[in-house]
Amino acid sequence: MEGKALANNNGSNYKEMLRRVFNKKTAPFWLLAPTFIYYLVFWFSPIFISIKEVFTTLDGKFTVLGNFLFLFEQETFLPALLNTAFFAVASVMLQFVIALVLAILLNRKFKGQKLILFLVMIPMAITPTAVAIVWKTGLISSGWINSILQSFSVLEERIPFLGLRGIEAVIMIILIDTWTVMPSVLIILIAGLGNINEETKEAAYIFGASKWRIIKDITIPLLKPSIITAVILRMIAAVQVWAVVVMVMGFTNVPFLVERIAYYVGPVSSLPYADKLAYTYSFLTAVIVFIATIVYFKISKKGTALDRRTQK
Amino acid sequence: MNKLNGIQKTLIALVLATVVIAVIVPLMFFFTNAFSNGREVYDYPKTPILSFTVKVQVSYNEDTGMYIVKYYDRNGELQNAVNTSFGEILSGYFEQYLSVYRTPEELLEQFEITKTEGPQEFTYGKNMWHNFKTFFLITSKAEEALVNSIIVVIFTIIISLTLGSMAGYAFARFRFKGKDQINVFMLIVRMFPMVGISIPLAVILIRFNLFDTMIGLAILYSLPNIALTSWITSSIFVGINRELEEASLVFGANGFQTFIKITLPLALPALAASSMYAFLTAWNDTISALILTNDHPTLALAVYQAIGDNTTNLQYAAAGSIILIIPALIFTFVIRKYVNQMWGGVSV
Repeated sequence: MEGKALANNNGSNYKEMLRRVFNKKTAPFWLLAPTFIYYLVFWFSPIFISIKEVFTTLDGKFTVLGNFLFLFEQETFLPALLNTAFFAVASVMLQFVIALVLAILLNRKFKGQKLILFLVMIPMAITPTAVAIVWKTGLISSGWINSILQSFSVLEERIPFLGLRGIEAVIMIILIDTWTVMPSVLIILIAGLGNINEETKEAAYIFGASKWRIIKDITIPLLKPSIITAVILRMIAAVQVWAVVVMVMGFTNVPFLVERIAYYVGPVSSLPYADKLAYTYSFLTAVIVFIATIVYFKISKKGTALDRRTQK
Repeated sequence: MNKLNGIQKTLIALVLATVVIAVIVPLMFFFTNAFSNGREVYDYPKTPILSFTVKVQVSYNEDTGMYIVKYYDRNGELQNAVNTSFGEILSGYFEQYLSVYRTPEELLEQFEITKTEGPQEFTYGKNMWHNFKTFFLITSKAEEALVNSIIVVIFTIIISLTLGSMAGYAFARFRFKGKDQINVFMLIVRMFPMVGISIPLAVILIRFNLFDTMIGLAILYSLPNIALTSWITSSIFVGINRELEEASLVFGANGFQTFIKITLPLALPALAASSMYAFLTAWNDTISALILTNDHPTLALAVYQAIGDNTTNLQYAAAGSIILIIPALIFTFVIRKYVNQMWGGVSV
């Protein structure tokens, strides 16, 4: 009761205090504080733990390179690194070329354009786990891919797709990946094309430029910000490929960086050194992605779609 | 300038047709697979067309007293199925391998005629939901996993939309020190691989007693999505006319009412797009769920664990995948019209 009376007496003081704490100057601080605390607890501290794990040995002693050297000694490390690198570069290039051609073709209005766009977008909404099943039903030796090849009498014997290893297997996974993520590249490029001023193209046409020259000298240069955004976002995602690999090819057959993490936290998690390897692999993957992000940010600062918008 | 000649038109049509076929054909085969019975799965070559019936040929062997059941595959060829005199075995085989639900007595009664009339053909309607039922039977926690997935999606959307739109509003409406640095930081968080965080996050969640809970998972999924939401919403808040808000304030609404009645409806497309990305992160992830749960899987994880790297009985896996795909498809296409408004400006 006493406290309440006091509060009533000092009501104006409280309001004054509230005003001092919540005003225009402090508003951004209060709006950002929850996110800041959230990231401090659930983002910074895990990273701190992870760094600590990567730089200590199994018996808790400090080491700079110990865990990395142990990682490099693993037979699957080098294939995993090379496969991931090849996958990231080749899949992104392939997806980009297909998406660019489609974006230019679908950018003009014609009958059925919306329907085609809708159909092409479908794979994007399919869960990776399900994508793996879609393709697994095709890749088994009695699967639909062999069925199609057979019915066009392209081949006599069934191809054992699931038995492929090495570079051939990586190429197969690139094709599967392209099927599902090409639409997300397409979206960015179509959005970018929508922003290009039609009049620029018309002017070039009036001055006698051919369609090919317009695409090469006007469309693509103006599309560059969207292209950079799409390519780097895809690369960052491509480094983290794993679910499709494991579900189609099984563990260890075609090693990738994140596939290795899943392997050490999954089937062999009881091994004494499994945790260390998982930490080191995820640290390495994070460093690669981090560098890619910084590169992305440096390039995009020079004027991407995002940047133009925030400056408006 | 927009006129194309005949050859160009044909070429374009060819390219587009190829792409559409490349998208549709795998889906058709996959869909057919999800509704195939245990025999059709191994038919070769396969057809991408659903079958609703099963045709069998039954004959009676007088010496052994057994019914010899043969199965017509999708190419019309006869394949051995089962030889037995027991109704239970017949009924069991029909259910497990042909997706045909008949009682032993019913089958025996129908087959009686082959004793006198010689081999006969029978056509049965398939139970189209057999694979879906079996998926829930063989995946011990499938129902729980479905509920878990929905819960974790809701938590993720709530956390990332609340925190993210607050941050987005701050970025859009206020000037403050360190804005650029915070922006870069948010971008790094957004790009940071979730696997890298999930292993050490397990340690922290155990400390908070949140390991193996849906809140724990939602906490992880919200990490990139808070940053993404703040980015998407801030670009929309910038576009919302400030004068509208000021007018509302002049007419006597308080700050909260203005936010609810004016700002929020205008920001709806941004919130819809953000919730779509939050939905997709939480719904599609398997690896983090694998790391952060023990006994309470999400649906994507349950499907993954049910299949592992098996190559047999893919029809059940396909049925499970359809259950997994449908909510994502519905959610994506319901929200698409809002997202379409966004794609013009924000490229994600």
